[in-house]
Amino acid sequence: MSDLDRAIAQLRSCRPIPEAQVRELCHKARELLIEEGNVVTVTAPVTICGDIHGQFHDLMELFRVGGDVPDTNYLFMGDFVDRGFYSLESFLLLLCLKVRYPDRMTLIRGNHESRQITTVYGFYDECLRKYGSANVWRYCCEVFDYLALGAIVLGASNTLEPSPEALAHSQSLGPTQGLTESDIEIEVLNADGVYINSFARKTQPSSAESSPAQSRTGAPGSGASGWSTGTPGNTSGAVLCVHGGLSPLIDTVDKIRILDRKQEVPHEGAMCDLLWSDPDEIDGWGLSPRGAGFLFGADIVRVFNHANDLSLIARAHQLVMEGFKEMFDSTIVTVWSAPNYCYRCGNVAAILELGEDGSGDGVIARSNGDVTRSDGGVMREKERLLLPGPARRYRVFQAAPQDSRGMPAKKPVIEYFL
Amino acid sequence: MSLNGALNEPYPSAELSTVSHMQKGFKISARKLPISKSGPIDEMSQKLGIPVPEMIFGDNIVSVEHMESGWRLEFNAYDALDRVDKTGRTMLKVAYSKEWSRSSRENTHEGIKEVVKPFDWSFTTDYKGTITNGKSFDVLPPQIVEPIPIELLKRPDPILFFEEVVLYESELDDNGISMLSCKLRVMPDRMLVLCRLFMRLDDVIVRIRDTRIYVEFATGKIIRDYTEKEDAFEKVKKSLLFSGKLPSDLTTALRDPNQIAHLIPEVKHTIENLTIP
Repeated sequence: MSDLDRAIAQLRSCRPIPEAQVRELCHKARELLIEEGNVVTVTAPVTICGDIHGQFHDLMELFRVGGDVPDTNYLFMGDFVDRGFYSLESFLLLLCLKVRYPDRMTLIRGNHESRQITTVYGFYDECLRKYGSANVWRYCCEVFDYLALGAIVLGASNTLEPSPEALAHSQSLGPTQGLTESDIEIEVLNADGVYINSFARKTQPSSAESSPAQSRTGAPGSGASGWSTGTPGNTSGAVLCVHGGLSPLIDTVDKIRILDRKQEVPHEGAMCDLLWSDPDEIDGWGLSPRGAGFLFGADIVRVFNHANDLSLIARAHQLVMEGFKEMFDSTIVTVWSAPNYCYRCGNVAAILELGEDGSGDGVIARSNGDVTRSDGGVMREKERLLLPGPARRYRVFQAAPQDSRGMPAKKPVIEYFL
Repeated sequence: MSLNGALNEPYPSAELSTVSHMQKGFKISARKLPISKSGPIDEMSQKLGIPVPEMIFGDNIVSVEHMESGWRLEFNAYDALDRVDKTGRTMLKVAYSKEWSRSSRENTHEGIKEVVKPFDWSFTTDYKGTITNGKSFDVLPPQIVEPIPIELLKRPDPILFFEEVVLYESELDDNGISMLSCKLRVMPDRMLVLCRLFMRLDDVIVRIRDTRIYVEFATGKIIRDYTEKEDAFEKVKKSLLFSGKLPSDLTTALRDPNQIAHLIPEVKHTIENLTIP
């Protein structure tokens, strides 16, 4: 067993590794990350995860639900640390797995992977408490500076092999409503892989008389497939993964690629926006009422996805009670992977699985919005059609059982408050 | 338009999540449920006309009810948020806002100037509870209004019922915290509810707003005491240092309203009385 495997085993049991080993690990990780571009290319199949926030036992639950590394290919969209009690163990484990299986583990930066934020929200204090000095915190912060800012998932299938439960469910509905493999765009499973729900891909309306109300599928008001064209074949657009969202300074993915990322997260500018901005039900761009930070509307996402041959943006950053939330006709999704956030919210968490395109026709050619390189762009410009979204399987899970945490359930402490 | 996940996820029922205690003609209840789901959140936000905090416990309630008369007072998140400034008139700005807007405006050719839905995003409220049935508090001149008998509350009488219920919490986009929560304790002859708003905007301001409800069971006497405390962030930090805190303990102290409440000057204080039946 190598030192690295031993460290992984130790961290898996939620025990920190010695300072010298952290130093060595961070050094190796930096050497690895420096080779990565600002936007990492990842090939499906991949499982996309949102915020973890030091909830170590829930990260273990995530691996149980999503499959272990290296069997499953993971992409974590940042915010590994702060808030929870085990930021150190969570981040170091992910980093060890990254070093051990570099091709099966992608880590991108969240707004909490920053010196300033970690001093206020817990990670700094935790390192100090567990090691007696800030050295480990400093090593980790140096790694933060090298984390990629985003990832592009290529070759995701736009069909979903339904789970046996989903098939059984659709058969019970009879032939007219039953779903076949190619119909399913979204499937939701619980932590044990048991079918909860699925939504069919909306086929392109044949003419104006097909009423939107009738062609809508899935959850009321979802419009999940509004921009899916239902074109034959398995080609779905690429998926951009980023922690926060878009930036008014970034209109092409290539502009992310040329940023100088190896620094503390700045207070403003494109890099800051990618890690901090939020989608909102507005037109165009808006300023957050807080006096810093941007909000962006559905039109911004549509134009960006179109210009970059993307079918979906996956992001994290915002707590959603149901674990995931698709917005703007499924052109953007928020994935949240910290169940019972801060040990008191009672929310569920989710991970997003994108399957492999078996036909080999998946999107490989990339134009990144450079029109001279994309002949299809002109056509689509006229039609204003977006590429069909990849088929998405969400696995929803709850917090790890209390007894696995080795700490008592939180009961209110009786006090003589005044 | 949005699609939200686990539609069939079990949600604990309201009855099972409510705990109650009867004491000398009064029923004191606390209901604790997980944060609201997307549907109810959207509904609430639309009704209120402002976004709601990301951790919104929309179903949580603390209530005090006089069984015979039916008089009832409760604390809930909706009514508290309804008293947040919805105009943006009192809107705060994060510490680095000036720096941010200057450089972002220079760099952004489109000139994004519009602030989306201005409102008091610090979720500061002057909520004092909702009387759902029965008479209101009497506004009395300060000479005759009766304050809460603190000495009686300092006695170590047995606590028969204790609960702590969060109504809402926001991380202010990692710029601090705003949290509204209720604590209650019931002793044999009296009880106290403390509903506290704690709002810390890092490097800008700290606010504490306390509503205390004191009930004396035998006489049916109810006292409502409301205080607003507020100070600049830097001043609170200084006060902590002067009170003997080590610089390394400041971050932790600034997270805990109990450690700083006594250091922040009072800016408003009202007392109201009521006797039932």
